[in-house]
Amino acid sequence: MYVRITLAGAALASLTAVSVLAHSGATGIVKERMDGMSAMAKVVKSLSSMMRKEVPFDAEKVRLGAGIIQAHSGDNMLRLFPEGSDGGMSVAKPEIWEDWKKFEGYANDLGLLARGLAAAADNGLAMAGGASNTSTMMGTSSTSMMGTTTAMVPSPDMLAAMPTDGVFNMVAQACAACHTQYRLEKN
Amino acid sequence: MRRLFLLGAAGAALGLLTLVSLEFWPIRPASQDINLTGDAGRGAYLARMSGCIACHTDAENGGAPLAGGLALRTDFGTFYSPNLTTDTDAGIGSWSVSDFAIAVRNGVSPDGKPYYPAFPYPFYRSFSDQDVADLWAAFQTVPPVATPSKPQDLKLPFTFRSGLKIWRAAFLEDQGFTPTEGKSTVWNRGKFIVEGPAHCAACHTPRNFAGARQAELDLHGAGGLPGGEDAPPIFKGELIENGWTLATFKYALRTGVSPSGDVLGGSMGEVIRDGTSFLSDEDLTAISTFLLDEED
Repeated sequence: MYVRITLAGAALASLTAVSVLAHSGATGIVKERMDGMSAMAKVVKSLSSMMRKEVPFDAEKVRLGAGIIQAHSGDNMLRLFPEGSDGGMSVAKPEIWEDWKKFEGYANDLGLLARGLAAAADNGLAMAGGASNTSTMMGTSSTSMMGTTTAMVPSPDMLAAMPTDGVFNMVAQACAACHTQYRLEKN
Repeated sequence: MRRLFLLGAAGAALGLLTLVSLEFWPIRPASQDINLTGDAGRGAYLARMSGCIACHTDAENGGAPLAGGLALRTDFGTFYSPNLTTDTDAGIGSWSVSDFAIAVRNGVSPDGKPYYPAFPYPFYRSFSDQDVADLWAAFQTVPPVATPSKPQDLKLPFTFRSGLKIWRAAFLEDQGFTPTEGKSTVWNRGKFIVEGPAHCAACHTPRNFAGARQAELDLHGAGGLPGGEDAPPIFKGELIENGWTLATFKYALRTGVSPSGDVLGGSMGEVIRDGTSFLSDEDLTAISTFLLDEED
């Protein structure tokens, strides 16, 4: 029975990150930023369904969602990560404050990309097909051994001209940039 | 007392003999002189799928492609991925295709030393000769980087590399890929990828005290991964119970976005960023079909 509970808990955690389990006990600024992350997850969940063509494309929904993400990014995100706010219920890693400039950069990138997503909302989805990784920041193809993963965010004009799902994927990559380095992944 | 001393000396001599024999125990297979023409584009794709680029590039610290130096912190110490560029001193520029084939498929270095299983060579056993030729061609396109990677920083007794020969004898299975009869081509392609190049079980299967995977708990998740994180269970029952579908699983491997709207982080985020996001729609379908055990 306990093994089953443990497995179920691990699976639940894997599905919802650590959010559900950790959020239930967090307080103060840790809770506030977890709530912010949850708000963004809600948007990503809704919009990704659109990107997978499970629901009709709705540019207005994209704009609204992008606005929510933008509101939780940049300085609004950074002020929720004061020094010493790791530990306890938090899943923030201490590297955040060791690499603050980098962390700051990612938070700002998210804002830029969210704005780009709003601007690209009317462009619609890219042509369906097997093209892999065509909508990344990197400009690398799957037939090249090259390509680093620390790429610059394209200009607002470039973002505004991209397919909506292209920019959406870049937003997801911005989320991943922090999650890969600064969030503790525990089952 | 004299008896004890003699016994002790005999024991020490035996121990020394064992260590010396281990050093000389030959494990290198015969030459694998692959004469096929390799396709560098296909090889690069395979390198993405196999995690070569992800592990041998220190991306987060701005490392040059395939120049190594990525730290993998484990219970055995810290491993640093080697430099695989075409540099003849710091990289593999002086290797032959046979050296490369034996390293990748058998886990043995050109001078006969066993690689630590931190390099997931057991999974690469299933590469065909053409796969190896393609990979080799791709690796020839990597610009040389003269800076060597860092030496392995392991705890005793794991610094004694020849001890791995015992590990190999105990835990290494000499198996290539066998498709499962009765399953579709797509499903079996997924099986090849998951059990081979993508080496999912390297993280998602728990290991025993010696660091060998526990086969009976395949893909049941594992704790204590490098960096202190956990890998969730991804066997069929668990995935289906948590509401994963073919569409959402493929999407997650392509974009990192999970059905809950979270974006996968930790090492899996890196796997996606540097690996699975580059895979074709067909291959992502195959992986998902196999893991979810779906059939049309």
